[in-house]
Amino acid sequence: MSDREQKVVDLKDNRPRDWFVRVSLGVFLSLLVGAWFAGDVIHGLGLDPNGYVTAFEFTDLFSSRRMERLDRFIQNDVALRPLPGSDESPGLVQFGWHFFVTDSPDRDSGFSAAIMTLAIAVGSIVLAGMGAVVFSLPASRNIATSEPFLPSGRQPQQGHRWFWKGVVVVTRLVLIFFRAIPEYVWAFLFLAIFGPKAWPAVLALAIHNMGILGKLNAETIENVERAAPSALRGLGATRGHIVLTSIYPAVLPRFLLYFFYRWETCVREATVLGMLGFASLGVLIQDARVRFRYDLMLLFIGFGVVLVLVGDLVSMIARGLVRRAS
Amino acid sequence: MNMHLTIARTSANEMNHKPRLIGSRRGVLIAIAIAGVWAAYYAGLDPRELIPGEGGLKLAGEFFGAAFQPAYTYQQTPPDGAPPFLVKVMYAMITTVIFAAAAIGISIVLGLMLGFLASTSWWMGDPAFRGRSTRVIGPIAYSFVRTLIAGMRSVHELLWAVIFFAAMGISPVAAVIAIVIPYAGTLAKVFSEMIDEAPRDAAVSMRATGGTSVQAFCFGLLPLALPDLIAYALYRFECGLRSSAILGFFGILTVGYHLEDAFHYGQYREVWTYLYALFLLVALMDWWSGSVRRRLVV
Repeated sequence: MSDREQKVVDLKDNRPRDWFVRVSLGVFLSLLVGAWFAGDVIHGLGLDPNGYVTAFEFTDLFSSRRMERLDRFIQNDVALRPLPGSDESPGLVQFGWHFFVTDSPDRDSGFSAAIMTLAIAVGSIVLAGMGAVVFSLPASRNIATSEPFLPSGRQPQQGHRWFWKGVVVVTRLVLIFFRAIPEYVWAFLFLAIFGPKAWPAVLALAIHNMGILGKLNAETIENVERAAPSALRGLGATRGHIVLTSIYPAVLPRFLLYFFYRWETCVREATVLGMLGFASLGVLIQDARVRFRYDLMLLFIGFGVVLVLVGDLVSMIARGLVRRAS
Repeated sequence: MNMHLTIARTSANEMNHKPRLIGSRRGVLIAIAIAGVWAAYYAGLDPRELIPGEGGLKLAGEFFGAAFQPAYTYQQTPPDGAPPFLVKVMYAMITTVIFAAAAIGISIVLGLMLGFLASTSWWMGDPAFRGRSTRVIGPIAYSFVRTLIAGMRSVHELLWAVIFFAAMGISPVAAVIAIVIPYAGTLAKVFSEMIDEAPRDAAVSMRATGGTSVQAFCFGLLPLALPDLIAYALYRFECGLRSSAILGFFGILTVGYHLEDAFHYGQYREVWTYLYALFLLVALMDWWSGSVRRRLVV
């Protein structure tokens, strides 16, 4: 082997390798593939006689029973229902005319539910944003410390270190708990407590998004440039002064970008939360579903799609404004 | 959540126009405040209603009281042949992971393919990537794929599930497909943005030295974007766990199913066990994807 080839081999042998990443990717990939067979393996070993673990049956989706049902769905269920004063299924144009132009209660409830969905999304993200602004401070390690932004060359004082570590850990655990529980589950729990009003949906979305925004904002704060806060600290500013005058102004654009990204998700989720039975578009979807009015159900899902697209557009414009200003 | 934005500081002096009283950022803040007040008014968000009625208060007390004593065994006598409670919880979590992993696996494959078609560097933008045929097909395929992605994304996975369950009945594979559709759309959108953001020098020189556009894409562009793609896929897996958990409310045997069941029977201590189990799972995933991301994306 020539000297040159040896060098190439050496380079290959000594390339940086991270075993943690390699093992992680291996585990991740085998999880993605293994998921399809895990249920079969567990059942095969006789570990789960009650059938709590799902085993996938690929043929099930295309079985004759399912195909018959699908056929019925397309032929009958989803077909447009006859309009009042007629026996035949209307055409799509007729149906649309009846729904949007003729005075129909479905249209009015659809529009008001759509606006309600929007209001829930807006209200909850504003609450979440306010909460996240507060929660992100004790969660960021450069602020929740006994010596925030100490100018270089000064010795930090000892003591209180464990207190501040505790503050960071507890805040972060709370934030993880907030975001670990899905919005739908929060709403389900709050619904029982507050009853069918807008509050359960708003609180559920606000809490879940507070967990996400709080974490993202804390990361932004931890990456902030040290120069300005350190200078303020050197002038004798307190932690509150530093946060208000140099941290928030610096991180605000990024906060707003995250805020609008999450708002897009909020619009989607607000629609769905209604399926628990209150306030938003979801309640109409659920209602049409239990009445087997699948034509109306698809129509209201279409309302949701329009709402989501409008939300994405508004968010895109707002993010553009924020970016241009920064 | 991957945006390479720098927070630039500008002062009025640096910019060549008069300082405005309401700049666009301040305008956005004011608009948010107004929208928040309107939403509170329209949705009837009266803070006084946050104090629940007598029944709600009692329920809230019982429910949140149970937070400090999650169940380790069944709260009531289980039916014959039921496994120990914690084993049941473990099976619920395993099923949740199974659904999430199965869905994310397919979403990643689909997302890569769609994201590849939807990236501007491939079809439009850089002339170095344009062959003769792509010049014609490119824009058409690009706008078609973009519309498709937007459509997939704009319907929530639960609504897809409702549609599929209505059409085919409750089936595990249909549930997986319901998660796959919006997730593949989201992955495709973000993947395409990441591919577009990756530095193109290597790919351009590959084209200049005679590589085909597919070669330049696969070996010049994709490897540079790969760390970001992996990090984002791991993040979506975390989201997938939550979606999979919720699908339980619609009849799939994930943790949501057992949670709803326990709540209806008033077994709040069992509910909290499920909540804590979900919390542990997501926290573990959060730590895992976070540490992989830190090592990959420096």
